[in-house]
Amino acid sequence: MERFLIQASTYAGSIDGVIMLIALLVGFWFLLAEGIFFWLIWKFRARPGEKSQYLTGKEKHVKRWITIPHALVLLCDVFIIIASVRVWYDVKQQLPEADSTIRVIGQQWAWTFQHPGIDNELDTDDDIYTVGDLHVEVEKTYHFQLQSRDVLHSFSVPVFRLKQDAIPGRSITGWFQATETGDHDVQCAEICGIGHGIMAARIHIEDAQTHAQWIADASAATTP
Amino acid sequence: MRRLRTPRIAALALLTAGLAACDATPLPLGMERGTELFETCAPCHGANAAGNPDIAAPAIAGLPQWYIEDQLRGYQEGYRGDHYTDLAGLRMRPMALSLTREGDIESVAEYVAGLDPVYPESTLHGNAGAGATTYTQICVACHGVDGLGMPELHAPPIVQLNDWYLYQELQNFRSGARGAAPGDTWGLTMRANSLALSDEVMQDVIAYVQTLR
Ligand code: HEC
Ligand code: HEC
Ligand SMILES: [Cu+2]
Repeated sequence: MERFLIQASTYAGSIDGVIMLIALLVGFWFLLAEGIFFWLIWKFRARPGEKSQYLTGKEKHVKRWITIPHALVLLCDVFIIIASVRVWYDVKQQLPEADSTIRVIGQQWAWTFQHPGIDNELDTDDDIYTVGDLHVEVEKTYHFQLQSRDVLHSFSVPVFRLKQDAIPGRSITGWFQATETGDHDVQCAEICGIGHGIMAARIHIEDAQTHAQWIADASAATTP
Repeated sequence: MRRLRTPRIAALALLTAGLAACDATPLPLGMERGTELFETCAPCHGANAAGNPDIAAPAIAGLPQWYIEDQLRGYQEGYRGDHYTDLAGLRMRPMALSLTREGDIESVAEYVAGLDPVYPESTLHGNAGAGATTYTQICVACHGVDGLGMPELHAPPIVQLNDWYLYQELQNFRSGARGAAPGDTWGLTMRANSLALSDEVMQDVIAYVQTLR
């Protein structure tokens, strides 16, 4: 999956892993089932002089075709559930210690980001507000507080495999840690009105030095 | 089978020629394109561009074409409507960004400029008498005695706009949400004149502006 879209967060790989596991298991059963169907269609195709017969499906040797695969599919489900619960726990249920906290605010139709500034504390005078540009440092754990000013939005960072709905009136906390530097897209993944499709932003993942420099420059420039 | 083929090839040729012809005809511009584009503005600004207070969209009907063009360029380039406190501007900005075709800005501006101004009702309760002094001391220099603006200074007419919108914009100028970004040549001149105004003075001068209608 890395080939389609780079994995730039600590949990991107494990989310892709679950998607891959599901694709493989479901794909295997899909191909097998379709193969058997077509084989049966071909094997019992219409032949002159042969009447078709009605099967009730009650006989043991007929029912086997359903019950055995059914049990096997359920077994596969167990694997999927175990894998996904583990990932879900890692991404959504636990909250690793934060190096820094940012606030992400969705509104029709822009993302506003509140960065903590030099003191690394949110809601102080040196906070840096930006529209459409989120700056984070690589290999640092961030908590985000996700809010909406009007309707439902969804904060989506594809390279992180992160997606979280923003709900008006609530502040939703989540976390991420970027694993490589680079500039990537941030999207809105919940229909939020006429401008939804162009409610895009950029995330700038910077090394420590570049990030410190950005904070210094931005603090000097902002007078909210 | 044989017989069918000729008409089919003919149809294909016709289709190709048709598509090529489509490409060759010049895209509509001016009022025709403007009318078409305005359909995307109407959900917010209203069918007659009379504005909608619920989403802070002003009555833009009849504003001069040059001013509408100025503002749409401002939204596109991000010196207007790109500040985190400017909620209304952030709503308008993507709409301006969607005018991507060459000539779109001019076309839709021409259409909106051709609509009759609507002069929406007052909603604020400023003191027009007190506002007169401020207006004649400061604003008149650019917005004119009758509030109709001065194109050579890029100052727009303000008489036909909603009073809540004028108030919102004066607040934006004062806070720096509008007119503070580099590149906003004309906004800067307006911002300088907003810095000393208190909320009360703003409401008074707006009340006076509305008497000029
Ligand atoms: C989603 C709602 C919405 C749509 C659609 C929309 N606008 Fe707006 N428009 C607004 C809002 C809100 C404002 C006020 C913005 C501000 O305060 O900066 C505004 C402001 C403007 C202004 C500035 C007016 C002034 O006096 O400075 C112009 C010009 C304008 N819109 C033109 C258009 C045109 C042309 C279209 C169609 C292409 C359009 N708008 C579509 C919501 C919208
Ligand atoms: C130096 C000239 C100048 C003076 C003096 C001035 N303005 Fe302006 N005003 C402008 C210009 C130029 C603009 C358009 C800014 C832009 O392009 O964004 C403007 C825009 C405005 C707007 C926004 C209109 C809109 O459609 O968005 C309002 C409201 C306004 N002025 C009110 C006032 C008031 C009230 C005063 C007096 C206190 C005043 N102006 C004094 C030049 C001036
Ligand atoms: Cu959204």
